[in-house]
Amino acid sequence: MKCAAAHFGELMFGLKRKVDVLFVPLIYSLPSVLRGHAVDSLACPRVMAGPEMARAGFLREKDLFAEAGIRYVAPFVTFAEPALLPRQLHEALEGMLPGLTPAETEAAVAAGLAALERFDAGLRRRSREVLARAAAADSPVILVLARPYHMDPGIGHEIENDLQARGYPILWGQHLPTDADLMDWLFGEEVAAGLVRSPFDISDVWPSSYSANTNEILWGAKVAARLPWITGVVRLTSYECGMDQPTFTPVQGIVEHSGTLFFSFQELDATKPAGSVKIRVETIAHYLERASPGIIARKRALLPAACPLTPATAQPAEL
Amino acid sequence: MNDISSRHWRPRRPAPLGVAEARRAEFLFGDLHWRAERLVEAAFASEGLHARALPTATRQDLMTGRELADIGQCCPTSFTTGNLANFLRGEAERIGADAVRDRYVFLSVGSCGACRFGQYHQSYELALRNLGLDGFRMLLLAQDRVDQSAGEDAFHLPLSLVLGALWGVLCAEVVQGLEYRTRPYEVVPGATNRAVRESIDLLAEAFRNRPRRGRKWGSLLWHVATPYFLDALRQARARFDAVEVDRLRPRPVVMITGEFYLHTVEGEPNYNMHRWLEAEGAEVHPASIAVWIDYLIRFAIQEAEDRRAALPRAGLRIAAARGLQRLLRFSFDRMRRALNDVPHGMPRQEEIRRLAAPYFHHRMSGGEGDMLIGKAIWAHRHRHAHMVCELSPYACMPNTMSIGAMARVLGDHPDMLYAPIEVKGDAEVHALSRCQMILTEAKKRAAAEFDQALAESGLTLEEARARVAEDPALRRATWRVPHLGRAGAGANLLLHLAGRREGA
Repeated sequence: MKCAAAHFGELMFGLKRKVDVLFVPLIYSLPSVLRGHAVDSLACPRVMAGPEMARAGFLREKDLFAEAGIRYVAPFVTFAEPALLPRQLHEALEGMLPGLTPAETEAAVAAGLAALERFDAGLRRRSREVLARAAAADSPVILVLARPYHMDPGIGHEIENDLQARGYPILWGQHLPTDADLMDWLFGEEVAAGLVRSPFDISDVWPSSYSANTNEILWGAKVAARLPWITGVVRLTSYECGMDQPTFTPVQGIVEHSGTLFFSFQELDATKPAGSVKIRVETIAHYLERASPGIIARKRALLPAACPLTPATAQPAEL
Repeated sequence: MNDISSRHWRPRRPAPLGVAEARRAEFLFGDLHWRAERLVEAAFASEGLHARALPTATRQDLMTGRELADIGQCCPTSFTTGNLANFLRGEAERIGADAVRDRYVFLSVGSCGACRFGQYHQSYELALRNLGLDGFRMLLLAQDRVDQSAGEDAFHLPLSLVLGALWGVLCAEVVQGLEYRTRPYEVVPGATNRAVRESIDLLAEAFRNRPRRGRKWGSLLWHVATPYFLDALRQARARFDAVEVDRLRPRPVVMITGEFYLHTVEGEPNYNMHRWLEAEGAEVHPASIAVWIDYLIRFAIQEAEDRRAALPRAGLRIAAARGLQRLLRFSFDRMRRALNDVPHGMPRQEEIRRLAAPYFHHRMSGGEGDMLIGKAIWAHRHRHAHMVCELSPYACMPNTMSIGAMARVLGDHPDMLYAPIEVKGDAEVHALSRCQMILTEAKKRAAAEFDQALAESGLTLEEARARVAEDPALRRATWRVPHLGRAGAGANLLLHLAGRREGA
């Protein structure tokens, strides 16, 4: 939220080239691989309403947008219900782009969503390649469980880069592979036993599954607990994140119960705690080096012998 | 580790509650004010079920909640978690942990979109695990259902009980409305409190003896149509008839808004704000649970309207929701009428939405959404209050957003007296001091409004007092002061004495 408010000011007053339109969608819901398996796929209340709060500061005494010659456009958008997007965006954009038709908006939305899907699929494919290499060499991988904004180096402080520099491949929970063969290998027995309805069902650990990103963090923890080569999980949370707060214990419980190492960086703020990060990274590397072989062997022994990540059986198929 | 069911971490799920067990169990609930809690208990009793409201949370509960659950909770979660934990810990020491598991069942709300309000049960579960009470049964109320496994023997709250509890909340609310419009003006200190206690006692008796008229639709029809509760409310009115008031004392009217738990509860979780404001000379316009329910229905209608093309039978759903809204208003207004319309009415949700629209999108969910902004403007525009006190929990995600958006409202309405109070639970002096700064202005404004009304009436204060002395009805708590465009009861009364009438 603090970043959003500052970003407004930077865009309005800090750029050499003038901005004509400030486009700040009110994101109500998000696309998610868990959509249909969880109760809902909502954005965090602060993400949803943050632009309304930031805007108020620029309008309180006078219309600073108008003074700067900027048009402020903030459509309400439901990414989890893509069928509604064209209308939501067309209503917001038609005044800004004269002559824009509903059909053009619909086509633009379809193109945008397709691009997002391609991007997403590409990263999931690359994550699978990383895992396949780890499986072939029985070497460890680190999974980062965090909010999407922690990928921003200014917010996540590039902690995962420091770990990668020590030779550990990094995966993000948002881009874990979701291929049917891999999901069946990891969750098939539990689905067959009726413990969960599908590999993406998190109701066994998180019944109030309303929030898209929270759901994905919980699901990522479940994957980490099962995938042998994820031997360490790094949890990032920012200062005062209300959405993360109730998840601390369940996520840690899920990961640690499986014997996987769990490292948490909480209350991250604008200042990078470089010294303490360095010490923590050294500690994490030490434990990963010492414990990974045992973790991989123990977790691997619990799964069916035929692993889809090994070259002989790996046949990715999109769910 | 090799057993697939225990190989991975899962919180222990308590056994489902069967019908026979439900009859023996004691249902625990809380988070309302004491009047509503008494009537909800009585509604359970009328169904042959035992229910007990948890004691109002205390500072000690806050500390326990912080100690037992995850760091960084919003303050209502800490209070309610600690409250449940301390109660059960005490009971476990008294009768043993196994007996506590058998005897008690906790009812909790389990849905509020992405806001943590709907995830409180995670904190409760964690706290109880930390106390060695894992496996304790909690039923999540998801607005329209109880979330527990299906099965022939599984207990589900019957509609007749839900309606009884809802009617209990509404009846308690109108009594509360009358109470808060009376106490600041009572001539004999303590008379209002006595009338309230007696009223709630007789209403509780009425709810306990509530006739059974079917479990579903028959019960709904009966609740909507029956004069049974209105008769009980009229008896309550008779208790208030005996309370003499002197409204010719200018009092600032302070409307309480904010997060649901903090604006509803009366006690340490909100620094006893209601009592403190009265002690400081204010008339409190309490927050309304009925308005919140009305908002939830409005929100459901908005969602259905936006998804009309994709939603099966959307038109029917919208019509049904509008019908529910009408039934709610009809029933609430009947109850108010039984108390001579003295309790505050419900603002129209359409107006709340329209007033808030320039500042906050109506589809933003979590907490009270655009309603906090709409209500503040509504109270200011229509002069229902001199000041708005918004009780916002520390670390509340949705409330922070609406308070931020209020910055622009204040820019457009610079004369609005608005006190957003961030409640941490352990920073009372700071919060009350902030409120007092705005309240001082509100007092000045109420006094000026009173003086102006006096001047407009052409009366002296002594003449006005003499007029009131001549007419016993005007000294009765149950006489409704007409709303003549002033926020204060005294100013409106003066204009009434001068012959002004509503709508003129």
